[in-house]
Amino acid sequence: MENVLEVKELKISFQTFFGEVEAVRGISFNVGKKETVAIVGESGCGKSVTANGVMQLLPMPPAFFKGGEIIFNGENLLKKTEKEMQAIRGNKISMVFQDPMTSLNPTMKIGKQIVEGLVKHHKMSGDAARKKAIEMLELVSVPQPEKRVNQYPHEFSGGMRQRVMIALAMVCNPQLLIADEPTTALDVTVQAQILELMKKLQEQLGMSIIIITHDLGIVADVSDRVVVMYAGQIVETGLTSEIFASTKHPYTKKLLASVPRLDMSRDEPLYSIDGTPPDLYIPPKGCSFYDRCSEAMKVCKEHVPELSEHSATHLSRCWMNHPMAKNAYSKDGGGK
Amino acid sequence: MTEPLISARNVKKYFDVGGGKLKAVDGISFDIYPQETFGLVGESGCGKSTAGRTITRLYEPTGGELFFNGKNIYKLSRREMQEVRRNFQIVFQDPYASLNPRMTVEDIVAEPLDIHHAYKNREERSERVIELLRLVGLGEEHILRFPHEFSGGQRQRVGIARALALNPKFIVCDEPISALDVSIQAQVVNLLKNLQDKLGLTYMFIAHDLSMVRYISDRVGVMYLGHMMELAESNELYKNPIHPYTKALLSAIPIPDPEIQKNRKRIILEGDVPSPINPKPGCRFVERCHNAIDKCRKETPVFEEKSPKHFAACHII
Amino acid sequence: MKAEYNLKPDLFSTASREDRNAEKMHRPSIRYWPDVWRRLKMNKLAMTGLVIICLFSIMAFVGTKINGFKYFEQDYSLINIHPDKVHWFGTDELGRDMFTRVWFGTRYSLFIGVTAALIDFVLGVLYGGIAGITTRRIDAIMMRVAEVIYSIPYLLIVILISVVFTSAGQGSSLFVMIFAMTLTSWVPMAILVRGQVLQLKESEYSLAAESLGATRGWILLKHIIPNTLGPILVNLTLQIPGAIFAEANLSFLGLGIQAPKSSLGALANEGLAGLAVGNAYQLFIPAIFISLIMFAFNVLGDGLRDALDPRLRK
Repeated sequence: MENVLEVKELKISFQTFFGEVEAVRGISFNVGKKETVAIVGESGCGKSVTANGVMQLLPMPPAFFKGGEIIFNGENLLKKTEKEMQAIRGNKISMVFQDPMTSLNPTMKIGKQIVEGLVKHHKMSGDAARKKAIEMLELVSVPQPEKRVNQYPHEFSGGMRQRVMIALAMVCNPQLLIADEPTTALDVTVQAQILELMKKLQEQLGMSIIIITHDLGIVADVSDRVVVMYAGQIVETGLTSEIFASTKHPYTKKLLASVPRLDMSRDEPLYSIDGTPPDLYIPPKGCSFYDRCSEAMKVCKEHVPELSEHSATHLSRCWMNHPMAKNAYSKDGGGK
Repeated sequence: MTEPLISARNVKKYFDVGGGKLKAVDGISFDIYPQETFGLVGESGCGKSTAGRTITRLYEPTGGELFFNGKNIYKLSRREMQEVRRNFQIVFQDPYASLNPRMTVEDIVAEPLDIHHAYKNREERSERVIELLRLVGLGEEHILRFPHEFSGGQRQRVGIARALALNPKFIVCDEPISALDVSIQAQVVNLLKNLQDKLGLTYMFIAHDLSMVRYISDRVGVMYLGHMMELAESNELYKNPIHPYTKALLSAIPIPDPEIQKNRKRIILEGDVPSPINPKPGCRFVERCHNAIDKCRKETPVFEEKSPKHFAACHII
Repeated sequence: MKAEYNLKPDLFSTASREDRNAEKMHRPSIRYWPDVWRRLKMNKLAMTGLVIICLFSIMAFVGTKINGFKYFEQDYSLINIHPDKVHWFGTDELGRDMFTRVWFGTRYSLFIGVTAALIDFVLGVLYGGIAGITTRRIDAIMMRVAEVIYSIPYLLIVILISVVFTSAGQGSSLFVMIFAMTLTSWVPMAILVRGQVLQLKESEYSLAAESLGATRGWILLKHIIPNTLGPILVNLTLQIPGAIFAEANLSFLGLGIQAPKSSLGALANEGLAGLAVGNAYQLFIPAIFISLIMFAFNVLGDGLRDALDPRLRK
């Protein structure tokens, strides 16, 4: 499969009063054509920084790219000028943000906001743009689009606003859509609608999606592949089916075990992970999960584990995969 | 049959807003039994948070009665209420906002003790604070620190320690885990469960995460726009939901298992949750219900027992 | 990227529990006010202001004793001498040493400025705090009263009070001055505090305290006021130059302090006469002092506001 996006050894840090905070510490992943990749992790793991980093929307100081490449359609985005990036944002790569309440300009009509991208990138005229805006509203299932295109954001509900955000993102038919926790601020019934919409649009328009979330249910619902991040690193990545059915990394396992499921018995205990993620102002020397891992070994404190391949698509970073580990996984082991 | 610890009868809370009356809670009735966890779920605007605060009289009720140990607390004077407050505590949703950023952890946890003069000297106060912190998995080294130095999960645990200071019988947990990371949520929920066993507490657990509510609660009530739509024992509700809203709600929750998730039958509701301001008569769910009949628009369905210990408000069941 | 590690088998034995500290606190404790001070220190302009204020404050007490002349000593043989080696700031039309008089005036101006601002602070916090925490009805009444008070022309009040007290022989008393000045100037502070209280009343920690059984007074004192000190402090710092200038204004108009005592404004008033006859220094020196003091407080206040703004934290 052809890759729309290839991220190689990306490193992003923030210069703060306390010193350098290494938010993203060397991550690599790919997004293929028409593929949905989910980046999962908890707060502070670096997933949002990664997403904003791809779009180069981070405030540059205090953030800075410490290393790595972001290859989009064969070109390294980190080598592009701001002007070149502006031509890509909203046009070839779009983003949908978490909070629909604040991502829309409250003083601008909806229609105008939707076609802003078209007018800028494709120099479309007023009438044609307006028609397109109505078309987009129809595409995202906003009822009465001719009427609503002239309304302001405050006249829309949360779910509707998120649909408008998606319309905004889709208007130039981007190759890649980055959705940063698109449904976290929404009710669960509205969330279901938005996820259905995103799947439908992907079918219709053929774009790739990166969805950032902490909700494993969403990951199971919409993604083809999963990237699990912890403390600025990728600890496990693989096809969705592999990640859920034969989990390899202790963190991923614990994460799955700490989520209550509708279909599990109430007597099954909910496993929690003690403590909190490490402070990235002093990044740990070895594995970042060391302090909280029940399988921790002495080597885990000293050295960052290498990436091991469990299959062509399934990789994880853990010393348990090393042949010298006593509790090493058997070839097909995994799960709980 | 044990006597309920808490009995809510037709509790109402209305707010006067620019456009009219916001009927946040519009007549809900339920019982909570000693040492059980009663879960209250619903989406935004359903009134569950308001319900929690009105039950403890943090908000003055617009109507209804609330019996605690046989007494209607809505009829008590301010002074009498002060006494009752020792038994009703609340754990709030936002661990970043419910702790005063200028107070040390020690002062925060000791505040209920300070207000009610519950100790003789500073040593006793200190000891009690450390005892409470240990109960929630923190330690003596944390007492002189400030809230902003802790993580969300730790802050929430400080909030829980504070709620336990006066040995309350009943704790309302108002979305205590919504602002926390997934793995930390499990931590806090397990802590709450342990404390319940250890100290014999009764909980009202308010949340919008149905999976978590199901896990921790013995009985669960589903609210929509100020009304109680369904109430049943946890297992029963999730296995045999009878109200159309509950069914839609349950089917909307994604299950973290790709095989199961991709093969589920989904009920997708149209539109958004309508506004609770000046609601129309009839069933509140009628606009989005797939099974609505004429009667649903005219008459508000009564909340009644449809099968043993299983209550619902719907005309078509 | 495969690094070459020298891995021995014993490294793969289980790590001990004690070695793993899940609840570790990494960063040193940042206390609120020390952090504000640190951020203020980074602001060179604000620090300049602070230095000026400190210098002037010290000199206000020490300056009058430095060169041996008393502020009220008149010497008709030394009238209107331009600044020279003996009289560093020159003398005025009555032969009094300007250097000493100017520092004496500074003392007065600073005292009045700071006292007036402090009174505004106390009145404002009390009134605004109560208005914010009380019922909407009482709050509305309190605010209407405050607005009416504030809308009375300030100069009118001062003149009226001055006249009333002059007829009682107390017209120039320091306290009458301050009373007249602060009669209406506390209102903006009250409005600020009320706004803060209204906002923080809804904060979740206030609600939490209420649920614990705290009375409204407790919440106001223990929770709300400590969290409003930031904006209040900024306002206070910026009110001082206002008060100093107001006093200078009044003295300039002849309403304030009486000779031989003086404030900077009074000195400027006296010096005005000298402008036409080539003794411009008699006006300029006090005027520059007033300007410097106001500038210093203003930049300090601005710097404080920036240092307190959580969004500007670097």
